[in-house]
Amino acid sequence: MKNLITGNEAITKGLIKSGLKFFSAYPITPSSQILHSLIKSKVTHIIAEDEIAAINMVIGASLAGSKAATATSGPGFSLKQESIGYAFKTNTPLVIVNAQRVGPSTGMPTYSSQGDILAVKHGSHGDYVNIVFYPNSVEECYRYSIEAMNAAEESLSPVILLTDGMLSMMTESVDLKGIKVEIKKRDFKPLGKEKRKISGLLTKDNLPCTTEPKVYQEWYAERKAQILNTSKKYEFYEYSGNKKSDTLLIAYGTTSRVISELKNEYAIFRPIRLFPIISKLKTIAESYKKIVVIEMNDSQYQGELQSFLHRELQSITQLGGELSLNKIKNELKRLC
Amino acid sequence: MSSKDFVNEAVIKWCTGCGLNSMFYSTCAVLDELKLKNTVIVSGIGCSGRAASYFNLDTIHSMHGRAIPTAAGVKTANPKLNVVVFSGDGDLLSIGGNHLLHAARRNDNITVICNSNEVFGMTGGQASPTTRKGGITLTTPEGNTANKINIQPIVTSNEKYFYARTTPAHPEHLTKCLTEAMEHQGFAFVEVINPCYVNFGRRNNISTPKEILTYLRTTFNISASTRLAENQLGIIKNA
Repeated sequence: MKNLITGNEAITKGLIKSGLKFFSAYPITPSSQILHSLIKSKVTHIIAEDEIAAINMVIGASLAGSKAATATSGPGFSLKQESIGYAFKTNTPLVIVNAQRVGPSTGMPTYSSQGDILAVKHGSHGDYVNIVFYPNSVEECYRYSIEAMNAAEESLSPVILLTDGMLSMMTESVDLKGIKVEIKKRDFKPLGKEKRKISGLLTKDNLPCTTEPKVYQEWYAERKAQILNTSKKYEFYEYSGNKKSDTLLIAYGTTSRVISELKNEYAIFRPIRLFPIISKLKTIAESYKKIVVIEMNDSQYQGELQSFLHRELQSITQLGGELSLNKIKNELKRLC
Repeated sequence: MSSKDFVNEAVIKWCTGCGLNSMFYSTCAVLDELKLKNTVIVSGIGCSGRAASYFNLDTIHSMHGRAIPTAAGVKTANPKLNVVVFSGDGDLLSIGGNHLLHAARRNDNITVICNSNEVFGMTGGQASPTTRKGGITLTTPEGNTANKINIQPIVTSNEKYFYARTTPAHPEHLTKCLTEAMEHQGFAFVEVINPCYVNFGRRNNISTPKEILTYLRTTFNISASTRLAENQLGIIKNA
């Protein structure tokens, strides 16, 4: 049966379906609705005193044996960055929902934006890799919340589920029961049974080891491979080829929704897993003379794709909460 | 079981004579006495934060300042665990100060052991929230102009509370405070006054462990009062 629900509600239901046992968050629009719905569920929760507390409670709960998640928006996401590196270092599975709004700073609350693409990939200090999903419909918010939790549990790392103001607040009619996604089981022993030393420090044989570059190099190579290998099971994207066109449009999230009606004129590639970047894009890109990345930020993903594809890409930016198909069409005429 | 079973002896690297050693071994003895094998230790960053790897238990050496929310997450996810935070005043009261306010307010069922050593020790001796007024540190070369933080009223302003103040120079009292804190159902905060002789003491004429012990023994008295004066040690609680 179909029901009218919002993107945020679909995320809540998806997280619960994925086996969520602990949730902590600090209020911030446009993600607060996830917090409001979850406190009415059976999921154990703490209303955190701040954004940093929320994610560290999630880290503690996850290590103690619970599938765990938090939700926030850009300003809060910035505050969680150090913890993302910590969770990467300590093999802690968790999901962070980031419902993006226009920044920097308080910006334009709560107009929609895709301004955190680089922040989700590079915001913590030091080297790390992570998995990032970005759905584009309410139905997908449900599906990819489950996949995000699965990927977190499988890679033992913090996985980020991006939305934007529009997608989080959008209401659509969906049949959630009709969506079948396999649930990954928790696969490591909870705290309290062993003598493990979980630490942000580099460790060797369960003890701090902070002076041996080789130990770091081996640890990092193994950790990176663990996440990259896991991500191969989550190669989510959509591609509609177009033999009449020599131009490939790339867009994701709400922007991809808006440009989908250009599919008769152009080829369109929509990554659902934004990071690691879908490797198939390399082959797809070869068929097109021109590639245009359309996004609600100042060319953030375009820059990432340029270095990934080793070629120059065009960019159409939609800033300040604006998302206008007419303006995109005009820009495309100018570029193509 | 003996208290030694809780100790990862091979790795302890605190300065000889530092009160952290007494705090640590006393904690192990209390865990043994109360048969709390199901304990998870959470520490922050700094000299005291290194405690996590010294306990022969499942431990989390968490981010700087975030031991309390990490511990709250552990305890909420698995209430059967005995969750103890072992950290310093820079970690718990400076960068992590907000978490202390709210864990005390929520009455999170965890025990927090705070080494109030008057400096950021591991980083060389900068002024911390417990640096005394007039104290000389790397960042207060002319003497600290601010007052030291007063945790007692912060913790005890809540409806239910447990606050203890003790020192490593009062070993029986230290053990009593740790025991009652672990037995307390709710948020328990044990402040252990323990000036760092290396990075605070040597700049303030209490430069050896012996001088620190003498200073602590002559300055502080154990009291049964329900409101501790600055030079009093004791336990005040409302369960």
